[in-house]
Amino acid sequence: MAPTRRVTNLALLVSTGLVLSIIESTLPPLLPVPGAKLGLANIAAVLALYLFGPGMALEVTLLRCLVGGLLRGSVVGLFLSLSGGLASTLVMIILFLLADRLLSVVGVSVAGALTHNAAQLAAAYLLVQNAALFYYLPYLILVSVPTGLFVGFASRRVALSLEGLSLA
Amino acid sequence: MSRKTRTRSWKLRAGDFVIVVLVAAAAAASMVVVARAGAGEKGSLAVVEVNGREVRRVTLGAGQARRAITVDGWQGPSTFEIENGRVRMAASDCRDKVCVGMGWIDTRGRSIVCLPNRVVIRVTGGRKAGNVDTVTE
Repeated sequence: MAPTRRVTNLALLVSTGLVLSIIESTLPPLLPVPGAKLGLANIAAVLALYLFGPGMALEVTLLRCLVGGLLRGSVVGLFLSLSGGLASTLVMIILFLLADRLLSVVGVSVAGALTHNAAQLAAAYLLVQNAALFYYLPYLILVSVPTGLFVGFASRRVALSLEGLSLA
Repeated sequence: MSRKTRTRSWKLRAGDFVIVVLVAAAAAASMVVVARAGAGEKGSLAVVEVNGREVRRVTLGAGQARRAITVDGWQGPSTFEIENGRVRMAASDCRDKVCVGMGWIDTRGRSIVCLPNRVVIRVTGGRKAGNVDTVTE
């Protein structure tokens, strides 16, 4: 892929992720549990992974978290979104590379949602040092099924629409 | 980046269902673990609220001598007692004395509620002192 194309695609994916997280922040929360989010921004990382490969997925996640952190101006928020985002992207990359025959984008996305929530909870625990946080764990694991499915199917829908376009 | 846009089948695979089942099982398992960890755990703090506002917090601990504390409720005084890490409503200015009838509580998450006098005693706190101050997204 030519460098200009690559930068353009990266910028498109990062801004897609940012816009999706802004849209998501206007939606009412799914559950009265902190961290239980739809994770729409993860669509950008999933698309980057499946359309352009692991390197692009990591870059999209990293840049989206950093720019998103600058926009929100919260260091704590940046730390939480980076830990959740990077952990989930790494797990999705591993599954994508190792279990490509067994899993489709939907299963990978569910695994990514689960990792995101678990890693973010662990990061939050590092910050507040209160074991009571883990009372949220079952709910966070449970919501990662519907949210991961949603993100997976949405990504698949977008990818199918993009098929035939020469992106790379 | 040399990888081309993948042309792949976007069909669901067997592993997708396995993942969903595994995650749901993990949720159920963690629910059991969390419920076990929380149940039966002694609280370390009694928080007393009147009409939704916290008026008193008293630490609970083993070996405490009995002492009585009176707070002003909505319609009159409520007296609760602390003893050996547990707490009860000893006397209350209310008609039915349901709160007094609830007896001693010492487990985290339990509470005594006196609706007429709008007094709530909650047992909280656990292994670690301090509660969550703020939660960020």
